[in-house]
Amino acid sequence: MSRPRPLVPVLLLAAVLLVLCVVVRPAVGQAPRYGGVLVTSPLSATPSLSPHEESTIATVQQASPCFNNLVYFDPAKKVESGDTIIPELAEKWSWQDGYRNLVFLLRHDVKWHDGKPFTAQDVKYTFDVVRGAPDAKAKLKVNPRKLWYENVEAIEAPDAYTVVFRLKRPQPSLLLMLASGYSPVYPAHVPLAEFKNRCIGTGPFKLKDNRPGELVEYVKNPDYFIKGRPYLDGIKFVVIRDRSTQIAALQSGQLDVAGSGWNKTNAENARNGAPKLVIGEADSNVNDNVLINFKKAPFTDVRVRRAINLALDRKAYLVGPRQGATTFGGALLPKPAGVWGLPAAEVAKLPGLGDPTKQKAEARKLLAEAGFGPNNPLKFTVSTRALAIYVDTASWMVDQLQLIGIEATLEQIETGVWHPKMTRLEYQVALNLTGVGIDDPDAQLYENYRCGSQRNFSGYCSEEIDKLMIEQSQTLDPKKRLALVQDIDRKLQADGARPILGWAKQFEVRWPHVKGWAVHENSIYNVSRRQDLWMDK
Amino acid sequence: MRTYICKRLLIAGVTLLGMSLLLFVLMRLAPGNITDIIFESAGYVDEADRHKLEAELGIDRPLIVQYGRWLGDFVRGELGKSYRYDLPAWQVIKPRLPVTLELAVLAMGFAIALGVPFGVISAVQRGHAIDYALRVVSLAGLSMPSFWLAMIVILLLVRSMGWIPSMTYVSPFDNLWANLAQFLLPALAVGYRSSALIMRITRSTMLEVLREDYIRTAWAKGQRGRTVVWRHALKNASLPVVTLIGIEFAFLIGGLVVTETVFNLPGVARYLVDAIQFRDYPIVQNLAMLIAVVVVFANLTVDLLYTWLDPRIKFGA
Repeated sequence: MSRPRPLVPVLLLAAVLLVLCVVVRPAVGQAPRYGGVLVTSPLSATPSLSPHEESTIATVQQASPCFNNLVYFDPAKKVESGDTIIPELAEKWSWQDGYRNLVFLLRHDVKWHDGKPFTAQDVKYTFDVVRGAPDAKAKLKVNPRKLWYENVEAIEAPDAYTVVFRLKRPQPSLLLMLASGYSPVYPAHVPLAEFKNRCIGTGPFKLKDNRPGELVEYVKNPDYFIKGRPYLDGIKFVVIRDRSTQIAALQSGQLDVAGSGWNKTNAENARNGAPKLVIGEADSNVNDNVLINFKKAPFTDVRVRRAINLALDRKAYLVGPRQGATTFGGALLPKPAGVWGLPAAEVAKLPGLGDPTKQKAEARKLLAEAGFGPNNPLKFTVSTRALAIYVDTASWMVDQLQLIGIEATLEQIETGVWHPKMTRLEYQVALNLTGVGIDDPDAQLYENYRCGSQRNFSGYCSEEIDKLMIEQSQTLDPKKRLALVQDIDRKLQADGARPILGWAKQFEVRWPHVKGWAVHENSIYNVSRRQDLWMDK
Repeated sequence: MRTYICKRLLIAGVTLLGMSLLLFVLMRLAPGNITDIIFESAGYVDEADRHKLEAELGIDRPLIVQYGRWLGDFVRGELGKSYRYDLPAWQVIKPRLPVTLELAVLAMGFAIALGVPFGVISAVQRGHAIDYALRVVSLAGLSMPSFWLAMIVILLLVRSMGWIPSMTYVSPFDNLWANLAQFLLPALAVGYRSSALIMRITRSTMLEVLREDYIRTAWAKGQRGRTVVWRHALKNASLPVVTLIGIEFAFLIGGLVVTETVFNLPGVARYLVDAIQFRDYPIVQNLAMLIAVVVVFANLTVDLLYTWLDPRIKFGA
């Protein structure tokens, strides 16, 4: 017998290692690949490519790849907060004078898609326009987020790469608003009207084709200031209106990812037909809320409002319209997905979450005290938008209200006049959906609960709450601020101001080759840049 | 003949005028206008901005002025601007017209190609197994709404073949085969119902004609069966069939909304519904008027075809 030569085991080991490297590479080597065009279907057609003028996720989804913000929420962190903000066009920022001045130092290497250099003047121009400054160089036709910037006193550009936001009072939340998908920087040299149909940004993708109502197509921006990004050669947003067709398009491989606006059943149906599809489920910070008109009797009576709230059994809502996927909470999304919501122990005690039999009995008692009973039933109309996702929940609501003797009837309002009717308070009780742009009290509370806010669709108004809102906004200690915000939330729940039925889950359904599809748990609006997305095929 | 055509053109003009008035009034009766939708869906209304936009769009003027201006522009071929997309209306409508037209023509082609021969065969083979089979096929076509059939077709395709037609429009000038692959199934789904109607009318009129003396004479003279049926009988039986085809074509144009939606075809029918939702008056009014013009002229063409099909028909002077 001859002893094995030492070279043989070495070679064998090398061969084994080589095989392992090759076999294991896809698992270990999740190094992003370049190339490919991602095809996806947005929630709906976008009315324009101008996020500052729109209030729909469809615009944010389809316009974000074109733009950049000063700062942005880190796509890789699932829960957005002040701690997850990363630089984009700003290299650095700092708060000065006790959160009265916010100073941004900008990147020097950024160019607009038309080749012109990006400077501080573009930032000043954009946010002067958005806050409606008297000396702004242009004016938006529609300016839905003017309210976000009402505390900004002036914006200065002392040099080409420095911008200072001067505030009337301290407001730490301003930075979060600037990080929203609704806060991109526009080029000062391009007329605002052009953003209706084209897009000149600094973002990772350049607009290739925009066929209104049909598709929006981007190609990679080769001059993007973040070297090595984006990974994709392009993104194509194909508007597919019919949900069944969306599912079929995904199953047939015509879409790489879909799911915007889908519920759990849609997602599971898609996977049943194509088992390789991957479903991602997450919180979304989009809620079903009940609008009770504070300006119309008998809803001015807190007992009536509370009775309605108690009658709506949230557990039945979970298994019914929400098909087993929802998160319960107060006016703000609770932890762990949210930052500011009420603690779980308090949420469990909110109206509608207790024993349904006892709660319905209490609701009947309250109605009786308010003068309503079997001989004099409370009658009203439950209005809702004529879209399936609204109507399903509103129908369930009518059924629940009838269980306590309320004679409720359903009214479906055509989608085009839904918001006008809500703004004018032309309803009695309504079922509404609200998407929260950023998980921050300054945005959520000011928009939806402040006296006189145009998105305060219930007409709720409390001077005490308004004062507390301002107080929390300028509170610099995060713990004290959280306590104040939760105190506001408790008062809102006690007043029956816009009861939240539940916070919806979002579903993204994708083929396994789609990598890096970022999802945020506490907002759907601030994660659509897609520069880190890649395809493993 | 010339007088008849002139009369018909005059009637067509009056019909279109009435149609324009109806369209204009109906759109204004619907609650809300585009400025309501633009401003209030954003949750922000600056009354001065809103009035400025209304003035810019011309919807602050008296209705009679708005109507007169629109009608004048339409006659001159000026279709205005889409309020929603801030683009010339023609620029928005133009790329969508060929999509709907191709779908309608293909669907009608299918309907005629299937309906007429099947109707004739069914009549000639009356009482035989093939007659019953074809009648079942036609009954199924009448019973199944085209949108339902379209959805079933999509589901069956994706389940059985893992394939569905392209979700983005392919122009026939870019790739004819891909275009046909995209349009054949929706055209079949839409055309099937029309083919069933055409088949039933063809069958019943053919049965009547086949009993006529001149057909019996043709048989007695020893003419070939094919000549008797297809040349003599069908031509005389085709008057109500042609009328039906004209009416069906008109209905078809207006009824493509759901099929375009299910197959994601960017045609005018689907776009019209979007425009109605957004109260995009120039788009709705001009598109609906264009459809009305097509319908009126389709009917006119059918009327004129009568003289060729049945020389006994004389148009009154």
